[in-house]
Amino acid sequence: MLLWRQFLMEWKLYSRDRAAMFWTFAFPVLMLLGFGVIFKGGDAPKLSVVWVQPVQVQAKDEALLKTLEQFPTKLIPLSAAEAEAKWFRGETAVQVEPTRDGFHMKVNSYLVAQGQMTAQVVQQAFLISQSQLQGQPMPKLIPVSMESPGHAKSANYAAFLLPGLLGMNLMSMGLFAVGMVNVSYREKGKFRRLAVTPLPKWIFLMGQVLHRLTITLVQTIFLLIVGRWVFGIQNQGSYLMLSLVMVLGTACFMALGFALSSFAETSETYAAISNLLFFPMMFLSGVYFTLDAAPKWLQQAVIILPLSPFLKALRAVFNDGAALTSHLLGLGIVAAWAILCFGLAVKRFRWA
Amino acid sequence: MSELALRVRGLRKQYPNVLAVAGVDLEVKRGEVFGLLGPNGAGKTTTLEMIEGLTEPDSGDMDILGLNWKQNGSEIRARIGVQLQSTSLFNKITPREALTLYAGYYPKSRTAVDLLELVQLTDKADAFHVTLSGGQMQRLALAMALVNDPELVFLDEPTTGLDPQARRSLWDVVRQIKAEGRTVILTTHYMDEAEALCDRLAIMDHGTVLTTGTPPELIAQLDIPSVVEFSFEGQAPAVDGFARRIGSEIEARGDLWEIPTRDPKTLLPKLLELAEAEQIPYQQVHVRRATLEDVFLHKTGRSLRE
Repeated sequence: MLLWRQFLMEWKLYSRDRAAMFWTFAFPVLMLLGFGVIFKGGDAPKLSVVWVQPVQVQAKDEALLKTLEQFPTKLIPLSAAEAEAKWFRGETAVQVEPTRDGFHMKVNSYLVAQGQMTAQVVQQAFLISQSQLQGQPMPKLIPVSMESPGHAKSANYAAFLLPGLLGMNLMSMGLFAVGMVNVSYREKGKFRRLAVTPLPKWIFLMGQVLHRLTITLVQTIFLLIVGRWVFGIQNQGSYLMLSLVMVLGTACFMALGFALSSFAETSETYAAISNLLFFPMMFLSGVYFTLDAAPKWLQQAVIILPLSPFLKALRAVFNDGAALTSHLLGLGIVAAWAILCFGLAVKRFRWA
Repeated sequence: MSELALRVRGLRKQYPNVLAVAGVDLEVKRGEVFGLLGPNGAGKTTTLEMIEGLTEPDSGDMDILGLNWKQNGSEIRARIGVQLQSTSLFNKITPREALTLYAGYYPKSRTAVDLLELVQLTDKADAFHVTLSGGQMQRLALAMALVNDPELVFLDEPTTGLDPQARRSLWDVVRQIKAEGRTVILTTHYMDEAEALCDRLAIMDHGTVLTTGTPPELIAQLDIPSVVEFSFEGQAPAVDGFARRIGSEIEARGDLWEIPTRDPKTLLPKLLELAEAEQIPYQQVHVRRATLEDVFLHKTGRSLRE
């Protein structure tokens, strides 16, 4: 009863801060729209190659150009001066310049991943063009198709991104909104008035958890609707499973925020501590990209942090329609964080 | 039921750089308004916060309504009402909502309507608390301190920063609280407030209680019921020679000479005569009875206002 009233009051006061409420709900949707649109292109992105136009075009040059057109490359023919300017602006990944008796290729060391791949393609094209020049027939290339690792229907990047946004959103709510609000309220003495009442701490904390849980629910519904309408993404698993993972995740990150807030005296300290946790988790836990290329030890270290197993389970349900039984270990890690942090938070929570 | 609402023995609190409370003993009877009077930094608020359970004392015993913090924490909280020195509420809550919300935390409570009427905030009942004036905010804080129908009410500097009219109206509420049979413990650095409201007082300085008693008792203890004041334009001149010749102690403070006396009737003509003879450039003379201010000055050698 008391908990219910506390929960209602949290909502009532929260709903009066219209701007904060708007951004809480709009931000994840905008992120999904933004990133989803940027990476929407159904085709694989083309590898761009700057082609420095020679003064005199030779047969070898024409042969290479013709072959490159067969590959998924985007040729940008430029004069020597234009090419140089583009190179110094740092926009060129790979530049191919025909010389008198061959070619010269430069790879941008800042864009090494894209550059190396493109360079490989150019090398192959060169070999093919050479053999063609010598009168051999054009070899047949291995056909390549782009497919998503998950369910056939969740084919685009937005489908990969949406669960990541849900996860990142939970984490930023827990670490920044909940934790920061608690530290600054304590700092400003807003809890002191509560401290002289018999209100138990756990009811106060639980009221906040429930409040945030319902915010998460609304955010999730918005994201699902926008994902479906704009990108045609659908939840492949059961909504019950999805809800279970989300509730567990919310509890975990709220508790993390509470627990962390008990270690900081001032908002400044808290900002530093929470960033220290937020950024590694965000970049290492597969919100925006997978960690398959990272060293093994790092991949294993990251699984201890709650965001990574949470996202794995969420993506398994959402993208692949998997049952949660296949992710018990990961969910166990998330649950362990939730319980430990909430216990720590109740124990360490100070009103003043 | 015990006669005493509060008994405190040897209360002590050391902060990293300062000994805030250095062994305080207090006894407060049921139904009285008890004041902790002292300058800023005397340890009044720390003392109060230890009694309220907000600050953990380093040592000392407390008996609050026959209960103690170690065993009866939530019962004490249910039976005391607290107005903090500054009450900071959550944003965008109205007085009515705040009172209703806090009422819900207690087993026994008064209605928001009653309390708003008591503190004369009915017309601001549904305004966001950030829009209230200082005086209205203090009255809301007072109403919140009464929400659980408490037996013992703590008011920390209830009128600091208020204009004279707002102070008077707050005093009326405090008198009303006393009339309802509650015990009130308040801190203040205004001696007129202490005199107007308190049945008994403890004068505090540097973390200790200097003296305790009713305001008349404390003034009577001084044994110098009257003070002759000479006021000057600008800084008062040095008193040395004049004091020796008149054979009386003179305090020069700012633009005043203060001459405490048991017998103003004899002293005054002598003073005026000598002042005339020595051409002391005073502007006005008046005789007043001694106040708590003089008690404090006498006990500490400093003014409350300094």
